[in-house]
Amino acid sequence: MIEAKNLGKVYTVKKKINFFRSEKEKVNAVKGLNLTIGEGEIVGLLGLNGAGKTTTIKMLSTLLNPSAGKITIDGLDAVKDAIKVKSMVNMIAGGERMLYWRLTGAQNLRYFGKLYGLSGGVLEDQIQNLLEEVGLTEASNTPVELYSKGMKQRLHIARGLINNPKYLFLDEPTLGLDAPVAKQLREMVKSLAKNQGKGILLTSHYLKEVEELCDRVYIIEKGSLILHDTPENITASVVKNYHVKIESSALSTSQQNRIKQSLTGCSIEFSEQGDSSEMQIIAPFDPTALIISVCIKESVAIQKLELKRPRLEDAILTLAKEKLA
Amino acid sequence: MWLAFSATFQRNYLVMKRAFPWSFFLGHILSGFYIIIFAYLTYFYVFKKDLSVSFSTYAGTDDYLSYVILGGLLYSFSVSLLMIASRAIITELREGTLEALLLTPSSRKGYFLGYVAQGLTRVGIEFAVITVTGYFFGLHLQNINWLSVIIVLFVLIVSTFSQALVLGSFMLYFRDTYITQNTLFVLMGLVCSITFPAHFLPEAVRWIGTIMPLTYGVDALRLVWIEGKSLSDILPYLWKMIILGIIYFPIGTFFIKRMEKYVLEKHFG
Amino acid sequence: MKLLSILVAETIKSHQHNFHNKLIYFSLLIWPALLFVTSYYSFKPFNLSDSSPLSAYMDVDQITMFLLTGYLGYIFFWSLVQSAWGMSYERQAGTLELIFLTPVSRIVVMFSRAAGNLLEAVWLFTGFTLFVLVVTGNAGDIHWWNVPLGLGLLSVSAIVWGGFLNIVFLFSRDAGILFTIFEEPMQFFSGVRIPVLAFPLWGKMIALIFPLTYVLEIFRDLVLNGKGLVELAEQFIVLFGVLAFLAIVSAFLLKKAETHAKETGNMVLF
Repeated sequence: MIEAKNLGKVYTVKKKINFFRSEKEKVNAVKGLNLTIGEGEIVGLLGLNGAGKTTTIKMLSTLLNPSAGKITIDGLDAVKDAIKVKSMVNMIAGGERMLYWRLTGAQNLRYFGKLYGLSGGVLEDQIQNLLEEVGLTEASNTPVELYSKGMKQRLHIARGLINNPKYLFLDEPTLGLDAPVAKQLREMVKSLAKNQGKGILLTSHYLKEVEELCDRVYIIEKGSLILHDTPENITASVVKNYHVKIESSALSTSQQNRIKQSLTGCSIEFSEQGDSSEMQIIAPFDPTALIISVCIKESVAIQKLELKRPRLEDAILTLAKEKLA
Repeated sequence: MWLAFSATFQRNYLVMKRAFPWSFFLGHILSGFYIIIFAYLTYFYVFKKDLSVSFSTYAGTDDYLSYVILGGLLYSFSVSLLMIASRAIITELREGTLEALLLTPSSRKGYFLGYVAQGLTRVGIEFAVITVTGYFFGLHLQNINWLSVIIVLFVLIVSTFSQALVLGSFMLYFRDTYITQNTLFVLMGLVCSITFPAHFLPEAVRWIGTIMPLTYGVDALRLVWIEGKSLSDILPYLWKMIILGIIYFPIGTFFIKRMEKYVLEKHFG
Repeated sequence: MKLLSILVAETIKSHQHNFHNKLIYFSLLIWPALLFVTSYYSFKPFNLSDSSPLSAYMDVDQITMFLLTGYLGYIFFWSLVQSAWGMSYERQAGTLELIFLTPVSRIVVMFSRAAGNLLEAVWLFTGFTLFVLVVTGNAGDIHWWNVPLGLGLLSVSAIVWGGFLNIVFLFSRDAGILFTIFEEPMQFFSGVRIPVLAFPLWGKMIALIFPLTYVLEIFRDLVLNGKGLVELAEQFIVLFGVLAFLAIVSAFLLKKAETHAKETGNMVLF
């Protein structure tokens, strides 16, 4: 279990005034953050303005020392026992950097594996297994500069797993990937947590991804925690409205009025499209059952019914709007 | 052509103002400065001014220090100029602006002239700094026919520019600047009569100096600067530089054009 | 064992990374060879007969050998400057951060990197040196039984120097400028081209800054003059003092830089 208590990070930034003088300015990147990641759990870290996510990950992975608070990883202190902690965690970031382009995939893994203290047969087995797992066995002897974006990303994953970490931090792992590759990657992340019991922290701009994968989500803004819950609860608590769209046979004005009356508390808009009509309903509850029963009573033939569930994305957009207002 | 010239000149001026290439600037000045100070130390402290007879025969002067100082001065000048012109296209390639440049119907001559003209403002400063340094180490500055000096420099610039085009196409081919340029520069240090007259070299190596404009430029400059010779005396040197320029120019333009296509195919094909 | 494993890992990585382009051999063979020849001819304008003032400091007939050993030492040291340059690349490419993510000892990585690069960088010029020895008929003047010791000493010193440079280049924004400023003075003042003894006092002071000065003196005494360990004891002690100092500064600098990186998230220290 990773536990961050009251975590804070203050950067001192030197601002150049002119050639000789500079002014020191303090920036609070993270403030009073409490966070836990359990084994086998996938935890999302979302930021409205992108502030504080990477700093948090870097503190958890021992690259940065916190200015306040404490991080313990299975009881070890992330600052004092940094070297021990390093063997237990790893970080994977998206993008094209952080690999030796002129080395092959296998050579990259071998190099980093040795830095983690692996060697000999153990290391070679680990490399083969990982390459197979990420589907790079055939490309294992190809220099990374010839890899496609997706292949580089998969190599990043393999590199991040080289020390068989108990906890894994994923910073935008699907950034810029094609849809099928991203999907494959999500499957893998899921299996790492569920089948291998790794604790995973994930940041991503694709909120659907976070919704699909994460057991719990932390939403931070300007370094402070503003919400922490399951994706479902966040969505439910932030986004109140359900959207239903129904295409049906043409409706008379009296039918429209009766429908409006039986759906109290909802807003309904009608539009005519030739011999069919369209209803748009916005309700603070799920109005599907109610509306179907009304349609049956009115003998309206439903041609198409679309229920748009509130998504995490709507929740985040709503939150962002609230913050702006 | 004028538009391409002024646009390139201005762009490079802005870039230089924003991020002055200190490393190159200092490097060029130091390369001249080091040649001077090492010659000074060797002359006074190691050999106690004891020259060999063959030196004055080959160099045409007994003034070792002036000989080497002018060598260092012009070597640095030449290296700086070669770098500016030869790295133009490959720099565009590295910064990802080559495609945009090739898309325009602009005159390539104007582009290169603008590039070199802007670069010359920097080279000029370097030249002045090394000259002043040389003065403190024994280079005389009196009774010099500056007009002749300027003519020698001008012909050298034209000729070196043509040579830079050839160097530039090598750089594009190897996709490398560091090793390509420095290999040429180290070689120039050996064969172009910079710190010793090339006559000391065995015949098999000496011919390489005859295809370098710098060899003639540095000899011509010494004649007008140290010996006070007139323009008509150095005419043969000027002609040789002009002929080298005439040979290098079409070769350079041809290969640069070929290489532009080649790198684009290799990079984006 | 673990040390060896990291050494091998760094060697293989650097080989793949730096030597993928055969042009690198120009910088490791052609440049020093040309510099050696240029230095040789730079002596030509001077009086090199028996009455030469140079004979106060060295045997004038030995100029070739003097320069050859000088440039051999120089390439050992200089090649590691070049490899240290790659460090700033690792910082830009983000791979440095990944190295810091691992539990490996940082100082081991820094010195392994120097050691891993050394052999690859110097074998060519060492071969060239042998070639020149044979061709010029000077092979007989060498005290061969001292050669392994001399080369070993040169290697150890170069590795300490290289590890130090790796750390300096790792954390400075524009290490290229240091390179520009010190490359040629190292060639000149550490006695590669001219005996340090001939310098005026201020020149000798500058010579003391460069570790190459100390090694080169011992190397020449061993290989050219055939001096024994006992005769050179004092020089050895000085050399090891200098190397120890360099190693301590390296460790201190690395520690300071990592702390700084952990505070600010920025690897650039100065």
